[in-house]
Amino acid sequence: MPQSNQRVAGWRGVSLVAITYVYFLIFAQFAFLKRLTELSIADAHLKAVMAAMAFGGILFSLLTPRTNLLRSPRLRLQAGLALCAAAALLTLLPLVLPASIAVAFLIGSGLGILTVTLVTHLRSWLGTGSPLLKVGIGTGLGYLICNFPPLFTATPAAQALTAAALCLAAIAIASKTTPDTPPEGTPALQSTISFPQVLICFTALIWLDSAAFFIIQGTPALKAGTWEGTAHLWINGLLHLVAAVASAWLLRRRGLSSTLSLAFLALACACLLLLDPHCVPIASLFYPIGVSLYSVALVAYPSLLAPASSTGERGRKAGWIYAIGGWFGSAMGIGMGQNLGHIPPFFLLLAGALVLTPQIAALLRSRRRELIATAVVLLAALGIWRTVAALSPKPPVLTQVERGRQVYISEGCINCHSQYVRPNTADVLMWGPAQTIDDLRSERPPLIGNRRQGPDLSEVGSRRSPLWFKAHFYAPSQINHASFMPSYAYLFRSQPGTQNQGADLIAYLQSLQDQGVEHLLVERAWHPSAADFAGASAKHGSRLFTTYCATCHASGGQTRAAWRSSFRRLPPDLSVGPLQDLSAADSPDQRRDRLAQIVKFGIPGTDMAGHEYLSDRDVASLSLWLQQTIAQPLAPSTNPLSPGETR
Amino acid sequence: MSLSLSSAVTFAPPQDPAVERPLNAPELNAPRITTSSAPQVFAFAAWHSLAWLVFANAIGVLLAAMLLIPSLNGLFDAWTYGRWMPVHLNLQLYGWSSLPLLAFLFKVYAVDREPVAAWSRPVLWVWSSALAIGSVTWITGHSSGKLFLDWTGYSRVLFPLAILATWMLLAYALIRSWNGPEYASPLARAGKIIGLALLFAVPLLLYISASPTLYPPINPDTGGPTGASQLESTLVTIAILLVLPFGLTRRKATRSWPLTVSWTVFFAESILCLGLGRADVSHHRPTQYISLGSLLVWIPLIPTYFAAFEWHPNTRRWRIAFLCWWSLLIPTGWALFLPGILDHFKFTDGLVGHSLLSMAGFVTALLIFVMVQLLGEGGWIFNGTWSFYVWNLSVLAYVLLMSVAGWQEGSHPAFAIVPGTARNIIYALRLLVGVLMFIASADWLIDASKLLREPAYAQIPNARSQIR
Repeated sequence: MPQSNQRVAGWRGVSLVAITYVYFLIFAQFAFLKRLTELSIADAHLKAVMAAMAFGGILFSLLTPRTNLLRSPRLRLQAGLALCAAAALLTLLPLVLPASIAVAFLIGSGLGILTVTLVTHLRSWLGTGSPLLKVGIGTGLGYLICNFPPLFTATPAAQALTAAALCLAAIAIASKTTPDTPPEGTPALQSTISFPQVLICFTALIWLDSAAFFIIQGTPALKAGTWEGTAHLWINGLLHLVAAVASAWLLRRRGLSSTLSLAFLALACACLLLLDPHCVPIASLFYPIGVSLYSVALVAYPSLLAPASSTGERGRKAGWIYAIGGWFGSAMGIGMGQNLGHIPPFFLLLAGALVLTPQIAALLRSRRRELIATAVVLLAALGIWRTVAALSPKPPVLTQVERGRQVYISEGCINCHSQYVRPNTADVLMWGPAQTIDDLRSERPPLIGNRRQGPDLSEVGSRRSPLWFKAHFYAPSQINHASFMPSYAYLFRSQPGTQNQGADLIAYLQSLQDQGVEHLLVERAWHPSAADFAGASAKHGSRLFTTYCATCHASGGQTRAAWRSSFRRLPPDLSVGPLQDLSAADSPDQRRDRLAQIVKFGIPGTDMAGHEYLSDRDVASLSLWLQQTIAQPLAPSTNPLSPGETR
Repeated sequence: MSLSLSSAVTFAPPQDPAVERPLNAPELNAPRITTSSAPQVFAFAAWHSLAWLVFANAIGVLLAAMLLIPSLNGLFDAWTYGRWMPVHLNLQLYGWSSLPLLAFLFKVYAVDREPVAAWSRPVLWVWSSALAIGSVTWITGHSSGKLFLDWTGYSRVLFPLAILATWMLLAYALIRSWNGPEYASPLARAGKIIGLALLFAVPLLLYISASPTLYPPINPDTGGPTGASQLESTLVTIAILLVLPFGLTRRKATRSWPLTVSWTVFFAESILCLGLGRADVSHHRPTQYISLGSLLVWIPLIPTYFAAFEWHPNTRRWRIAFLCWWSLLIPTGWALFLPGILDHFKFTDGLVGHSLLSMAGFVTALLIFVMVQLLGEGGWIFNGTWSFYVWNLSVLAYVLLMSVAGWQEGSHPAFAIVPGTARNIIYALRLLVGVLMFIASADWLIDASKLLREPAYAQIPNARSQIR
């Protein structure tokens, strides 16, 4: 048979693997639980229902390879699928507790028969070409379908109907096997680790996965950070697919032990990161990778990699893996999630020892010299570092400004912001005045930087208020819709053993200021040239207002609303006023120039920041538009105050 | 014998038929110890350096994407753009750029001979472990605040120790092969001993220079390096270029004048550099830009110098590439230092583009050239046609894009600070060429992994020295 035809011939196997995963994940693990909640089955009753499902699963996982009923693999698989479909449809009925227990038992039984039969005879549907890749694609597609937003967010009834429909489709798909099925015998990609070791590894991994899943599912904050929202779901689905294909590649090239080790490392990272609610976005990247890595192996090992002298032996091994690893491991993981609410690091260590032992042992055998050399150097460095620290004089207690400087260094602000105003250049007007080299050299180290993705900060304390810094660190794009600076809200979280890093950083940035008044005089003397005003466009000014100003100066501005009570003086709604920094006595030209100065340099002593980096033409456009649209300045005594505003 | 290092250091595996060895080579006429050469040593070093290149390039792609799609930062919580940058830069410098030079030193000090060869991989592990730990410290917010010298805390001790471990291996190899053909001439011995003594200072210098209390001379008009500093660092690069051939190959018997001229010019410029001192001097001073302009003489000299040596045929493509990049790097580097031009481009993407021209263009081509020479027939891993052109054309495109962005930014700082359509298009194209560079480097890594599975490269043989 041509190679391309062999590959195409495996579509039945790919589909069956995908459908089995979809049924298990979206229905048995998900929709059925939601349905039980709808039926007000909870607490001890819920445990009884889930125990019935586990019992059915374990029982039929072990019985299926040992019974002679329905000897044809095709018929047996179709029977399992039919049971699964029937169980899914039954959940649409208004079940009471005993009926729920019976349906749960039916789901477990159906899955037990389906999974064990499928992997025992998977070669019959996969054909000969790239079987591991087909398993990887089938698994990845299964997870991708489950994360398909319309299906993931559907009602339990819709999900149950989908699962049942897919099972019926699978019955049709399974009606034919692929030709040229390889005979049973020693697999070409035989695993080198023993069956009990494999069983332990799968049990530990499924335990971890189930616990993490249950904890995420039961914690709204974690759920929001992992699989809520269309973007999250698509990312999860695609990560699953990529990781599943990678798992197939790893199984072929690096073997089962390496694949399970990587799966454990990814899952362990996810579990540890879940301990910190702020690290959930990163955990959500590791979790699907770890799950898909081992899920492919969970199908590939019993069907393709496990050494077995007969189909019966292959089936018995599959039965043990799904009974112990699958159902028991899953039940224990859910129990851990229910009772502890987290995965203890000690358990992670234990699971790691179990999963990684074969890999570590192999590494020790083949790379002893490398490991010893690395360990010796790491320990020597630790010893020297500790000794130097012990012998060095105790470092002085840092002031808040000094701590803030450390935060500035730690966060790598230097990679986007310079602290160097080049003398005799446009820098001086925008960010000046210039420092002397002696001042710079007194810093430890000077933080000159070499690239400006954002403004120079050497005198930023003169131009920005503490509130502006805080609001900007929380949500830069809220202050300035064009900003591409990331949020540094995490600096304001209270962390054990550290000060408020956000406050420290603000104190440091506030300290970066020139005490003289010369630069203020330069700012007050500045105005756009006549050519800039001649080329200015009020329409363009309107767009600039929306991007830079509306957040504070429009009645519904985001920054205005978020920090309303923190402003030294509430920013006026420019369409209403009052405009205290404009004089009613100014001529139109004077007023236009004053507006331009405020746009460019802000208002000293207030939270109004300038936009010094804008071109003079942009500033002129903005001031032109403002002059045409904002309220007329009135005498302060006649100007009404907005709520929360003081004169 | 003048410059006899060239004859003392063998340049290619004996089985390589492509290059004929002259009959008067001293090692052929003397009683000698022949040992089993282990090309795996260079293959391992190539693999480690490529692994870091691919990883650093992947981070580069992420950084380019973050500048275009800021919401990506939200996926990584505290691991923001500012924390990824030192990881990207340092892995390019201490991983990708350093490990091929380590392979070069392995060749010079005959680390590829048993039983020393067996220790090459542990040393590479130590180096890579130190880099991995360094990366963890930078991404978790620990840095000295000095670009390219971000080592701080534990990693500030660990990385110099990793360098020291390499030094110990070189010293061990020197002792083991003291009576070998590599040390037939007194000059070769003296050269290697002096080299080893100089290398001993590297870990200490790195530790000291990472101190926040030290800072190089500052150009008061830009805040950047002075002309003298740039001349100094370029002369260090030139010194490496001048030394490299002696460790890699032998010179052609018929051409000695390029060597004499090159070394004479090098020493003259070194004296000029010393005369300039290390003061905080502006680039507007004629002495600064005229002195830096003296580097232009190396545009023809370096190709002529390298033409005086015999090279493995596999190196041809990358030798031409690195010489082309060199011919572009030197004049553009000088032009970017000139008054008016530097004032326009300082702090802009224009200089980012030039840094990439230097690192991804010139340095990368040079390092690959070195590795191909070391690997000999195994150098095929770098000679894929599409990856060669994709890499080099992508670098060229990147440099051009950043030059355009830098020119705009020099005129209007808001061009970079406040993204507009033009900036976003340029940054999107930059992201695209970054992805292409990543794919090309991944192709090399995949091929390097394949090379390590070839029987000749799979294991370091346990054969011991044999006396013929």
